Amino acid sequence: MTAERFLALTTAYGADRRRWPDGERAAAEAFAAARPALARPALAQADAVDALLHRSPTPQVSMALRDRVLAAATSAGDRAHHAGRLWIDRLSLAFGAGWAAAACAGIVAGVIMTGHVTADARADAVLYQASLLGMDDTELLG
Amino acid sequence: MTGAAVLDLTGLAATFARGRMATFADPDEDLVRRVGQGDPAAIQAMVARKLPRMLALAQRMLGDPAEAEDVAQEALLRAWRQAPRWVSGRAKFDTWLHRVALNLCYDRLRRRREVPTAAPPDRRDDSPAPDRGLLAADIGAAVNGALARLPDRQREAIVLCHYQELSNIEAAGLMKVSIEALESLLSRGRRALRQALADHRPGAEGV
Repeated sequence: MTAERFLALTTAYGADRRRWPDGERAAAEAFAAARPALARPALAQADAVDALLHRSPTPQVSMALRDRVLAAATSAGDRAHHAGRLWIDRLSLAFGAGWAAAACAGIVAGVIMTGHVTADARADAVLYQASLLGMDDTELLG
Repeated sequence: MTGAAVLDLTGLAATFARGRMATFADPDEDLVRRVGQGDPAAIQAMVARKLPRMLALAQRMLGDPAEAEDVAQEALLRAWRQAPRWVSGRAKFDTWLHRVALNLCYDRLRRRREVPTAAPPDRRDDSPAPDRGLLAADIGAAVNGALARLPDRQREAIVLCHYQELSNIEAAGLMKVSIEALESLLSRGRRALRQALADHRPGAEGV
């Protein structure tokens, strides 16, 4: 590591080596050990800025904010559940309507088919009786 | 969230998926999955883990406690909505959440610039007068005041790297700048803070 790069690292990331980039940490530590006359003033200056930054108070989460966020989570969960429920309801409705339509179609088809079958059976019966009795259609049907 | 912000998030995830951050261990993965399933204990744990971080981020970016609370609350609300759809392995959840909160902060900073005011509340100088005794609270207020007066991008770089303790790769990714550009922002920001707080440095403060 060059002196220029070491100074750039401490100026950007500060004196705490844990904040230095992973890939350069070992080389920077080695540089600091090998060139203390150059490294110490740079580290001291960076450490002073770090110390100032640490004086910024960390905001505390109020109970009211915490409660609002938790309430929002419950509400979001309810909405997601409701949306899921609506989807299932709609699916059920769609399937129900399909089954109802299929049932109606079956009934109509059944009625029509029954009519056709009855008419055919009636015609067969007439022709059969006519052949048995030797009567013509006029006699049989009147 | 604006359409551009949504695109940003999509782009961020895609960038991570393509690049060197595609393979990583996300410490929040299991928690996010349980939150997505509606596990109340996981939701409480997520609040304990992320709400202070989001509040600190927003407070230092905006300098206004009420606005910071609104941003932190909205960021977590979006986390609740996102959790059931979260696809692990594409981005770290913490990084995604930072992106959401940063977008919300920038929306507010932009709105402030669009509405001209005589004295924006977020930029008030809480620094103690030079002749006042320097209590710890005074120094904290002075640091916050100096942070608030930094250009937005310098402040963002310092907040992400120093206070939020993100890696330089994560911070640069969030800011959409190169590592070199991030380091330049950090250096300029720290230099400006050092100059602005010259009277408050250890040894100069008398506390």
